[in-house]
Amino acid sequence: MGTSAPLTLKQGAAHLAAIIGAEHSIVRGETVVAVPADVQQVAEVLRFTNANGLTVMPSGNGTKLGWGNPVVPDIELSLKRISELREHAWQDMTCTVEAGCSWAAMEAQLEQHGQMVALDPLWPDLATVGGIVASNDSGALRLRFGGLRDLIIGMTIVLADGTVAKTGGKVVKNVAGYDLHKLMTGSLGTLGVITEVNFRLHPIVEHARTWTVVVIDEALPDASRFAAPLRTLMDSQITPSSVQLRMSKHECALDIRIAAVPECLDDYAARIQKILGKLAVTESSEEVWRARQRLFDRSDAVVLKVSLFPSEICAVISVLQQWEAEGGLDVAVVAQATGLMTVAFNPAGGAAIALIERLRASLVAVGGSVVALHVPDGLRGTIDVWGYGSDALPLMREIKGRFDPNRILNPGRFVGNI
Amino acid sequence: MLTASQIDELRAAVGVDGLITGQSQLQTYECDGLTNFRVMPEAVVLPRSAEQVQAVVRLCARDRVPFVSRGAGTGLSGGALPAAGGIVISLARMNRILNVDLANRQVVVEPGVINAHVTQRVSAQGYFYAPDPSSQSVCTIGGNVAENSGGAHCLKYGFTVTHVLALEVVLPSGELVHLGSPTMDTPGYDLPGVFVGSEGTLGVATRITLRIVKRPEVVQTLLAAFGSIEAAGQTVSDIIAARMLPAALEIMDALSIQAAEAAVHAHYPVCNGLLLVELDGPQNEVEVLMREVQSLCGNNGAWEIRVAQSEQERALVWKGRKAAFAAVGRISPNYIVQDGVIPRTALPSLLTEIDRMASAAGLRVANVFHAGDGNLHPLVLYDGAIPGQEEKALELSYRILRLCVDNGGSITGEHGVGKEKQEALGYMFSEPDLATMQLVRCAFDPENIANPDKVFPRPRLCAEKPGPYMPHPLETAGIAEIF
Repeated sequence: MGTSAPLTLKQGAAHLAAIIGAEHSIVRGETVVAVPADVQQVAEVLRFTNANGLTVMPSGNGTKLGWGNPVVPDIELSLKRISELREHAWQDMTCTVEAGCSWAAMEAQLEQHGQMVALDPLWPDLATVGGIVASNDSGALRLRFGGLRDLIIGMTIVLADGTVAKTGGKVVKNVAGYDLHKLMTGSLGTLGVITEVNFRLHPIVEHARTWTVVVIDEALPDASRFAAPLRTLMDSQITPSSVQLRMSKHECALDIRIAAVPECLDDYAARIQKILGKLAVTESSEEVWRARQRLFDRSDAVVLKVSLFPSEICAVISVLQQWEAEGGLDVAVVAQATGLMTVAFNPAGGAAIALIERLRASLVAVGGSVVALHVPDGLRGTIDVWGYGSDALPLMREIKGRFDPNRILNPGRFVGNI
Repeated sequence: MLTASQIDELRAAVGVDGLITGQSQLQTYECDGLTNFRVMPEAVVLPRSAEQVQAVVRLCARDRVPFVSRGAGTGLSGGALPAAGGIVISLARMNRILNVDLANRQVVVEPGVINAHVTQRVSAQGYFYAPDPSSQSVCTIGGNVAENSGGAHCLKYGFTVTHVLALEVVLPSGELVHLGSPTMDTPGYDLPGVFVGSEGTLGVATRITLRIVKRPEVVQTLLAAFGSIEAAGQTVSDIIAARMLPAALEIMDALSIQAAEAAVHAHYPVCNGLLLVELDGPQNEVEVLMREVQSLCGNNGAWEIRVAQSEQERALVWKGRKAAFAAVGRISPNYIVQDGVIPRTALPSLLTEIDRMASAAGLRVANVFHAGDGNLHPLVLYDGAIPGQEEKALELSYRILRLCVDNGGSITGEHGVGKEKQEALGYMFSEPDLATMQLVRCAFDPENIANPDKVFPRPRLCAEKPGPYMPHPLETAGIAEIF
């Protein structure tokens, strides 16, 4: 493919149509949406775009396309047609699934043998495996089962130049070669296109109960009262599968979920009550674990992913409560005991940037981070989404340069405008 | 050859007592736990700080001198084998535990800290460091990071990479960088994820932030004796199917039991398949599950089932298992330890095939498995005094690895590729796979001076372009496309 003159959108679409069929190469605004049928077509599309310097944004179902810095690509490479569960080796507790498969569709098939990928991502009905992996999403189950880096055992990726590469394998324990799948996880489509993922599986939790402690009806329910019990719980030999703190304007709550053999669950209830002392513990439904996702439902809100030391969770929530009292930002928080916290607030005036800067000022120096996941349209481009400046950034740029020398994959979307 | 001025520079960097150039002292460093490969280094440095490591590596980068970093030298794949004409950087003197943060369940250590010392430091407060390679009483965290070490308990607790949050690393350029952070999901690429297990080819870790884990309320260890390995293996499948995630599931065969008995008198029952199951967690839960395990063992014909009744008994059970490799020395003059992985369900057919191959080669193979995750350690026994037998044994051990790959598995579960299995890596991965890994290598180490000529099947230059697409060996074999 020559590079003498830049291709027009129409010409690009025509070339792509020749590769994947006209009905799968659709012009939408300034972008051609290409929907290849298999990994070979992904490779061919990338070889074409790479040779012509056309930028590419890999996509699944588009639930998180707003994450990271804004990108207006020439080509949106949709994985929607590459969406099968290829293999479920249930006796070996592994599976191989294509990137365009929705999380829920994968789960439904794994469930037939009582198994699951032990992760509770956002919007499981819509979000695809590839998108979840590329954005390194994780929920409350992370406390017990780890994140995607602990659950992914292999991957197939296509590099910008069309190279198809496999990494890892189909066995849980494997130290052969570099773990490229760890590099790809969370790379937001800037290093290659994920087409297939191998997971280790866990048995579906059959018996689990959730207990909740709520503090309401105060002008400002203080999260700090949970600090001591939370620390005692996490320092105990109870092994909860999830623990989260929720804070909104008038309510502060602690949720604890335990999965165990049924004959032991009552005993856990007693032990939890003992740790929480006078605070009233009630049993609640699985619904409380959707709290993180609900923060994203506020389309006008800024949503942050904050990472901090677990020991600081209550203190930071208390600080956010004070800022809330000062500014009426309608702050809501869901914090996992792992130290991963989702914060949503209304960006009244310039307050959004100020709040993010204040949080970063207190957390980044001690190893924490504040990333703006969702930014309302009016604020996009005005907020430093990543707020990241580590001495590892030049190395990350070097890796990007080696994987995608022409910078066609989501250019500028990632940290440091990678 | 290092020049006199380079030697002077190294001495200035690490001090007189931090430099070894005498031939007899250098000999200590000519190999690691894989003793059939030996290379004499030009010099060994023993830095005490990241700054000293940087000074040494800067010299290496400037003059393109290869370097190999080394912990305790317990590795079994030749990862710490010196590079010809190169320097060995021993991290043995960087052995301080720098910080313990119980509230956040993490510990910061230097690379020369011994694995077991991390647990010792936090055990009084009820915590432990989970990865437990058999060599844990001597191996170092830096070496564990390089190899992504596992151990018997990684089925439940994960590998070294699961427990590394952050790393301070001296890059092969001599620059100091910080990968990851003490909190989760640091923005940017997961560089700790790719650095852990890179076998010393991406730089030298000089400071490591580790996760520690609360010690479970109770630990119960069961031994069950079976008439065959297959019956023990079936029990493992049944335990997994019953939705349990034991802390450990180990199988030993008759030969390895015999060896362990001879070496440490672990009082194992004499049988063809010994299953070791360890459950941990809250007391009442472990008791319920242990009863279920016992009944599953009985269903599969276990004729002796014992639960260790005291911490001493439990320790003895593990002593036998962890001593199994070395113990084989009691029943054979020489042996090769291998480290293959297969999907667990392939175990019975693979064992039959190994038996067949061993008989055909006129050799004995003892087997020890981390059965829960399909990691098997065949020990190929031979007598080096018999001409030609070592070659036969080596060939058999490599054929076993290829058999693992053909069954959809891996050539190494925890020992690493190192020098020993470079060619086997080329059997497991196709050219484009290897070329893609090489992109990472070149981003970290464009001059190829950090542990060169290891891991990858053939030397490459960073300017090389990857070749055209070639089918994966598994595809060619018709294994990859299952649906």
